[in-house]
Amino acid sequence: MITVGIDSGSSTTKAVLLEDSKQLAYTIIPTEFDFVKASEKAYFDVISQSDVQEGDIGHVYSTGYGRKNIGLAERSISEITAHALGTSYLFPEIKGIIDIGGQDNKVISVEHGKVLDFLMNDKCAAGTGKFLEYTARALNIDINDLGDLWFMSKEPALITSMCTVFAESEVISLRTQGILKEDIAAGLIKSIANKVAIMAKKINLHNSHGPIAFVGGVAKNRGIHAALEQEISTTLLIPPEPQITGALGAALYES
Amino acid sequence: MPELKTMEYLKKIYKKRVNELQELRNNGVKVIGTFCIFVPDELIFAAGADRTILCGGKNETIPLAEQYLPRNICPLIKSSLGSIVNDGCSGIDSCAHFGLVDMIIAENTCDGKKKMYEILDDFIPTYVIDLPQRPDTDIALQYFLQELESLKTELEHFTGNEITSTKLLDRIKESNEIRKLLHQLYCERKRDPSPISGVDVLKIIQKQFFLSPTEFKHILKMVIEEIEHIQPEQESNTKPRVMIAGCPLSGGNTKVPKIIEERGGVIVCEESCTGTRSFWDLVDEDENKDPMLSLSQRYINIPCSCMSPNKKRLESVVDLAQEFNVDGVIYYTLQFCHGYNIEAYNVQKELKKAGIPMLSIETDYSDSDIEQLGVRIDAFLEMIS
Repeated sequence: MITVGIDSGSSTTKAVLLEDSKQLAYTIIPTEFDFVKASEKAYFDVISQSDVQEGDIGHVYSTGYGRKNIGLAERSISEITAHALGTSYLFPEIKGIIDIGGQDNKVISVEHGKVLDFLMNDKCAAGTGKFLEYTARALNIDINDLGDLWFMSKEPALITSMCTVFAESEVISLRTQGILKEDIAAGLIKSIANKVAIMAKKINLHNSHGPIAFVGGVAKNRGIHAALEQEISTTLLIPPEPQITGALGAALYES
Repeated sequence: MPELKTMEYLKKIYKKRVNELQELRNNGVKVIGTFCIFVPDELIFAAGADRTILCGGKNETIPLAEQYLPRNICPLIKSSLGSIVNDGCSGIDSCAHFGLVDMIIAENTCDGKKKMYEILDDFIPTYVIDLPQRPDTDIALQYFLQELESLKTELEHFTGNEITSTKLLDRIKESNEIRKLLHQLYCERKRDPSPISGVDVLKIIQKQFFLSPTEFKHILKMVIEEIEHIQPEQESNTKPRVMIAGCPLSGGNTKVPKIIEERGGVIVCEESCTGTRSFWDLVDEDENKDPMLSLSQRYINIPCSCMSPNKKRLESVVDLAQEFNVDGVIYYTLQFCHGYNIEAYNVQKELKKAGIPMLSIETDYSDSDIEQLGVRIDAFLEMIS
């Protein structure tokens, strides 16, 4: 059986192609304005990367912010269920998942792929990829370089605001005080890690007696990864491509 | 499920009631506004007055209230005041009854409401009853009884009618009749699958303190008769059974229940002021006992989150979840409602012990977070299915 999972996210659209639960191809493209167009592009992209013909595809499932509007998909599942399925497929023994995406973050307590409990951030960009994007801009650096500054900082600045807009002005005020760039960057990273760690602790992930995985686009950021491990005092497993676990989970979904 | 005839009937009821209230006032009958199920409407009726609920559930009137109130308080409080300060609510439907009250009987429950009432008094005379917040002591009962005695005097004075024990007992019996009918309606929902949607039940129960007891009884009998014989298709019993617990869902506010049911859940119980809290316990009808004492005993035991410690509520949430055989509880908090919001922690702890999953959501009356709520609710329904 050949299946495709599409994760229609706020920043990127991901698609994964599976044959009998074996991954044949994946793609990650920017979502841009049109969610539907992006999902179609990702779908054909992933097919063209393999020897599979469109007619061979058995099922298409969707997840992510735009999941309900994807005409290609026969049904949609929530991101939480999708991440639990996809990440547990990669790491069957995991007990917890931390996902930081473009506009939300979630913590999931999981056992054998089944969701036991979860929490998502409230309607606010605090602690998400967007927070990083905006604050990196205030620091005048590329978002990809932000994480590396974590390792250069000796004394992370204290960022108290959780509001993305106010954090940006806080950054500017720290700059005017002559605080080092790496210390401000590290402060921002620490504030995100702290916020996410509190969520994880709320659903008791730190006591879950099993490995925890870190997924989503922000998991590629080495600084956040290190800071988060420090905050929850455990090693976090990161898949080779942490951005596609939602799409993978959707592809694995069998109704 | 096809639309129930009762729901069709309900659509015309607002206008009918507004006309009725206008007519009552023309005939010299006083109309009292209330906000809370702690105010015994038996006393109001026994004084020959009528009453109507003034809790706002609409987003549109919130900006009007923000001229008087801070922005960061609960939407119910803002919506209510907004509906009152702007007579007729600038043409917003379902608002006319806010302008038809002669007096308000309010209560000291949460901080937000207490302070709002002080402002409200500038617009409509507002009488406030106090509530002891540690209800399980003799002294609390004595105090509450005294508060109700003062309210009785106030009502007698305001209406010019004496509240006799006989009149009061009659009204207690009538209110109990309504409570028993509501029990019957909720009992139907224990069936699996439930013969009625949670949104429909909510729309009915939102009218409990808006309509006259006679009309409300009529509606309850109509809906019970209608659903008694409904045998929902068997496939719908795969739908997860959900209980809502927490803040009230006032008239006009069906946002979250709609999301839950549109996404495949079925609500079978509400542990809420627009749910079990309003009718679960009856008032003692013993004729050899002072009816004022019977009223006090019943009302002081309502498990609102303003009470502390609030073991009774924690037990009641778990009991109801088990009694209605729910797959999960969705804990509903209105933004800035600290009482219910903080209590979610202990409720979750108790539900966990009983093996019942809970999802906590916090929201207001705006539509801006429908998608975010949808994701959480989808995930929760998938989790408990």
